[in-house]
Amino acid sequence: MGKLEDLKNAMLVQLFKRVPWLAERWAGHHRFIRGEGIPWTPLGKPLRECRIAMVTTGGVHLKSQPPFNMEDPDGDATFRAFPTDVDKAELTITHKYYDHSAADRDINVVLPIDRLHQLRKEGLIGGIAPILYSFMGHIDGPHLGTLMEQTGPKVAELLVRDGAEAVFLTPA
Amino acid sequence: MQRTIEARGIPTIGITLQKKVTQQVKPPRALYLRYPFGHPLGEAFQVNQQRTILLDALKGLENITEPGTILEPGYVWRRHRFE
Repeated sequence: MGKLEDLKNAMLVQLFKRVPWLAERWAGHHRFIRGEGIPWTPLGKPLRECRIAMVTTGGVHLKSQPPFNMEDPDGDATFRAFPTDVDKAELTITHKYYDHSAADRDINVVLPIDRLHQLRKEGLIGGIAPILYSFMGHIDGPHLGTLMEQTGPKVAELLVRDGAEAVFLTPA
Repeated sequence: MQRTIEARGIPTIGITLQKKVTQQVKPPRALYLRYPFGHPLGEAFQVNQQRTILLDALKGLENITEPGTILEPGYVWRRHRFE
């Protein structure tokens, strides 16, 4: 992506952050996967007994992991996995389509790791799944198919393997 | 993504900052906040705010019975006082 495109993108990021209804209008002109029917799995037991997992599309990953691809205008449909008891100093965010300056200071703004541990200590949830899964949300074009048919189902399988009994998701 | 996980047999709830998009995508359960992008749990170091939003969403897993429900707690950005 050229410098001019980068500049335009940076301006849109700030504009959408400050004027949210503009982002809604932008979304109105954009292609999203329309849902046909709504999948439904009821919670099998009380929340205080459930093992909770988290998935984010905020572009969070370990500094030691490869960053998400920011050069491809259609985004990056891959995901990163890291332990829930991660040292927060090891985390970073690669995502140029939103302003993550607040999350850079406190990751809990997009991925509330400390708050989840807090709720477990308070006994409000039963446990925490061992692994966090992270995507970058800005995905379009051919990568949508990859997400829907490959990396999305793969993460769903991994969550089952991890014994997740409910999943909390956060956007960018 | 959320629909894929739910279809695999795990209940899900997601925060959304874009109501119209969510109404199109139709996740099973969502919690909508009129917050700026990059702030689904609110502001940095605002522990009570982050905890309240997370807990509201998790309680939705127990309380929502209608597929496609979008919760709207209506916490006004930088105005609502979280206790």
